[in-house]
Amino acid sequence: MSYFTENKGFDTLSATSENRPQPMLEARGLTKSFGGLMATKNVSLHVNPGESLGIIGPNGAGKTTLLNLLTKEITPDQGSVFLNGNCIDRLSIHKRVLAGLARTYQVPRPFHDLTIQEHIRVGMMPDGLLDMLLHGADDEKELKIAESVGLGGERAQQYPYELAMGDLRRLELVRTLATEPSILLLDEVFAGLTVREIDQISELLTNRRATHSTTYMIVSHDLKALEPLVDRVVVINFGEVMTEGTFREVVADTDVQNAYLGTGWEQE
Amino acid sequence: MFAKGTNKGFLGWMIFGIAMLALPLFASSATVRIFVFANYIAIFAISWDVLSGRTGYISFGHPFLIGIGGYTTALLTHHLDLPLYVTIPAAVLVTMIAGTLFFLPALRIRGTYFALVTLAFMELMYGLVQVVAPDITGGTRGLTGLPSIVTGAVSNYYLSFGVMFTLGLAMWLLIRTRLGTALGSIGMNEEAVRACGLNTTKLKLFAFTLSAMIAGLGGAMYIHYLGSIAPRGLFDVSFLFTILVACLLGGAGTITGPIMGAFFLTLLLEFLRPYIPGSERYLIYGAATLVLYVLQPRGIHRLIQITVNWFVEGFMRRKST
Repeated sequence: MSYFTENKGFDTLSATSENRPQPMLEARGLTKSFGGLMATKNVSLHVNPGESLGIIGPNGAGKTTLLNLLTKEITPDQGSVFLNGNCIDRLSIHKRVLAGLARTYQVPRPFHDLTIQEHIRVGMMPDGLLDMLLHGADDEKELKIAESVGLGGERAQQYPYELAMGDLRRLELVRTLATEPSILLLDEVFAGLTVREIDQISELLTNRRATHSTTYMIVSHDLKALEPLVDRVVVINFGEVMTEGTFREVVADTDVQNAYLGTGWEQE
Repeated sequence: MFAKGTNKGFLGWMIFGIAMLALPLFASSATVRIFVFANYIAIFAISWDVLSGRTGYISFGHPFLIGIGGYTTALLTHHLDLPLYVTIPAAVLVTMIAGTLFFLPALRIRGTYFALVTLAFMELMYGLVQVVAPDITGGTRGLTGLPSIVTGAVSNYYLSFGVMFTLGLAMWLLIRTRLGTALGSIGMNEEAVRACGLNTTKLKLFAFTLSAMIAGLGGAMYIHYLGSIAPRGLFDVSFLFTILVACLLGGAGTITGPIMGAFFLTLLLEFLRPYIPGSERYLIYGAATLVLYVLQPRGIHRLIQITVNWFVEGFMRRKST
């Protein structure tokens, strides 16, 4: 079954038309306002298959809103989202996940009465009720996925209230990875973590990039942690795309320094 | 197919089943009748728990569902003289359909709002039954002389227990499947469930339909046990609170907890009756409920779990030394 809607009113993206590979995910003119506040204004960006895109910008710039628009937790006033060239505007949140677009949240959202292994079980859950009812959990696969983020063995039986923030972030990540996404949106994945925890999560993502073909979009304020993880960076300010380029190009941009980074950032 | 620990729990169910089957051999007819009532409250508590205990959508409108089931079979037997093997399944079907039609829009809202909307349904039904076609529904006085399914305290006990036990065991097994985990996770964080690629509307609809089915069946059987139906007895806040308190006191979301809660509340009230015949016994009922809830907010179910674990660990420690 295809989860993609027909491209009514939208062009299917093609590799030949713009002489670049077909993006895995593309936002076209996403606009959203809350009353008088314009949270995002005509935001267009894309992520290519296998690429890791960083999204940076000051607090309140509209980064999380952008992620919410991409996953349809918020419906845009205008604009469209394309996944592998197909318009997914009509797909609900869960169908977007089934199509391969998954995300983590800025504030981890664990299931307080489920163990780590059970979190993975929910992530791996099939869509059909009968399937859920008749087929038991795949313990071995669940534990293997838990192991891949360092939460395997006995730790897989721990509950969220037993975990530190770093492990809660891993839990959020592993539950999302269990959905087998083709593109993963990570919202402030380093927020509230110690330096050691940031290194661990960073190493985890680097290793995963080396072994899996997952595409990433990472929103983060921690630029030092972000730098080795991303191929390209998009800067958002006041709900608009300010600039984009490689990490070095972006941080050297005077406008970006004035709006977000401040002076002397490069000397740090 | 089922989660770990199912075998141990199944053993508990078997012990409970055997004890309950043997009860009429030792208990008086009056005690058996009290247990019949406890069985029906347990059925209603299971129905509430499947929806509200698991998914976190707190329903104040379960008497509405129980009432649909009760009134459907009452009207069909009273006016059309149809046999019970036709009217009871019809009551279940009507409850599932009518309940879904009314509750489906309400599933879009949650928290206090969902609870209040469902409470409004119950009040609406209370008003409608009295005002709309009272010559058919019996109005405020209701309908009497309804046929019974079986006669005698012991037969009614075995019937009500059989239904309660079967439904309870089936729902307990259900919550131990992956579907049960998915339903439970909605109550913990619905947004995160959607972010895992699950269709929460489909899951909630399933839980609701199942809950309505049980409520309809319980309601239909209950009014045939009573032999009469009246709006005051069914669409009443105290009836609603008996179901709610049974679930919360027993341990919502566990299926076994609400059954324990239903038995605890019914037996406590009835066994206090000879000593405190007046309504003062409700003070003791309230106090006991409060103390239990303060002692263990997750209910009798959790209290028993902790006690059993304490004994088992103590036994293992003594054995190892």
